[in-house]
Amino acid sequence: MSDEEHHFESSDAGASKTYPQQAGTIRKNGYIVIKGRPCKVVEVSTSKTGKHGHAKCHFVAIDIFNSKKLEDIVPSSHNCDVPHVNRTDYQLIDISEDGYVSLLTDNGSTKDDLKLPTDDTLLQQIKSGFEDGKDLVVSVMSAMGEEQINALKDIGPK
Amino acid sequence: MEDRVFSSVHSTVFKESESLEGKCDKIEGYDFNQGVNYPKLLRSMLTTGFQASNLGEAIDIVNQMLDWRLADETIVAEDCTEEEKDPSYRESVKCKIFLGFTSNLVSSGVRDTIRYLVQHHMVDVIVTTTGGVEEDLIKCLAPTFKGDFSLPGAYLRSKGLNRIGNLLVPNDNYCKFEDWIIPIFDEMLKEQKEENVLWTPSKLLARLGKEINNESSYLYWAYKMNIPVFCPGLTDGSLGDMLYFHSFRTSGLIIDVVQDIRAMNSEAVHATPRKTGMIILGGGLPKHHICNANMMRNGADYAVFINTGQEFDGSDSGARPDEAVSWGKIRGSAKTVKVYCDATIAFPLLVAETFASKRDQTCESKA
Repeated sequence: MSDEEHHFESSDAGASKTYPQQAGTIRKNGYIVIKGRPCKVVEVSTSKTGKHGHAKCHFVAIDIFNSKKLEDIVPSSHNCDVPHVNRTDYQLIDISEDGYVSLLTDNGSTKDDLKLPTDDTLLQQIKSGFEDGKDLVVSVMSAMGEEQINALKDIGPK
Repeated sequence: MEDRVFSSVHSTVFKESESLEGKCDKIEGYDFNQGVNYPKLLRSMLTTGFQASNLGEAIDIVNQMLDWRLADETIVAEDCTEEEKDPSYRESVKCKIFLGFTSNLVSSGVRDTIRYLVQHHMVDVIVTTTGGVEEDLIKCLAPTFKGDFSLPGAYLRSKGLNRIGNLLVPNDNYCKFEDWIIPIFDEMLKEQKEENVLWTPSKLLARLGKEINNESSYLYWAYKMNIPVFCPGLTDGSLGDMLYFHSFRTSGLIIDVVQDIRAMNSEAVHATPRKTGMIILGGGLPKHHICNANMMRNGADYAVFINTGQEFDGSDSGARPDEAVSWGKIRGSAKTVKVYCDATIAFPLLVAETFASKRDQTCESKA
């Protein structure tokens, strides 16, 4: 495995990014892949077998990265893809001029390929916290080859 | 004095009547002493009264539809081409028949009567509702059963049984329909994208008739006989549910209703020099759609309505043929009748005395 600074690789090369799960077992607040996007389920409703054919699950979900609302209807016995969603905490070292962040990884090296998040509130919190000199730990969510900072933790003054 | 009172009362009660002899038909029912002869029994309906007489008239009118030839009309020299004046051509030009029916009739055994008519190309255009199409296809995958009007709804729901009047359709039948039709929609979408096919309801139905490939289906025969089946309300049924679900899995299938209204109205407009006849079972969309198309040619020449609708609420479903005359949907000179009867009784009997008996006669004379 190369250690080039800006080379991005998925963390486990052999494991798949999604796993199949029967639609009827996916619940609210679970994850699901819709149109190739990893999403968090906000609403599930099941229509029983009837004139429309097999029983169906209607999912309303939010894309975990760009917050778009997506929906899908799937027969409840059908398998859906569920994304592996990982959360890792990193300490924030630096924010570069072009919006990239420098993060401290567990093994001491830096991870510099992530941009600042697009969500305004979170962005402000990070910027102001960093300018104030606070020690910030960011929570990075990753799924299906995409990564994004989605939460902030303040570990207190030095 | 008493005599005068008596004679004035007498003349009031026994008011002299106009004689109807020779002007109206006598009422006479079938005499079972001549044995059980079904054709004679059906023919006796004309003079039995009430709806039996209306059915008898309907039989007469349909027979007129079937017997009419352009040769029966006098030639209007200025309007005719040389070809149109040719007697053998005129003998070959027949009435164009529009058949419309609602979906409950396809759930019932009338579906098999309809299939007979389509199989032998006895009608030219069909208009129906979505249920009228899917029930025919589903019967090829799994049967409909006889139940009872009084079966309780909640109980049936718990057993996965859907009630249509006194018929029962298990949910599983619709599951089978879904499994059968979704791959066909996938194929159609592919053809739309790769071969630029623009689907319309009638094209879709012809395709489904081809795919079902089952001689018990009237859609199959419509495909084989090139009889267009129009269903402008295609989304209002299980088929519509299937289109809805399919759009989530793979979106993009387009169904053009504009092309179909062109085609339907053209069937009426370009029918001339043929006469047009309408046989409409039930009300709703099929009834109006056929009448409306015929309006485009200033009205149909024959109309037979068989339905249980009443006109007191102003609905189109309950409207008599005379109301359609006011719209120009039926000609003032047309032969029309409305039979107030459930089509499951009236229609097979009507076909027996018209389409089927004529075909039997033709077959016998050829034999």
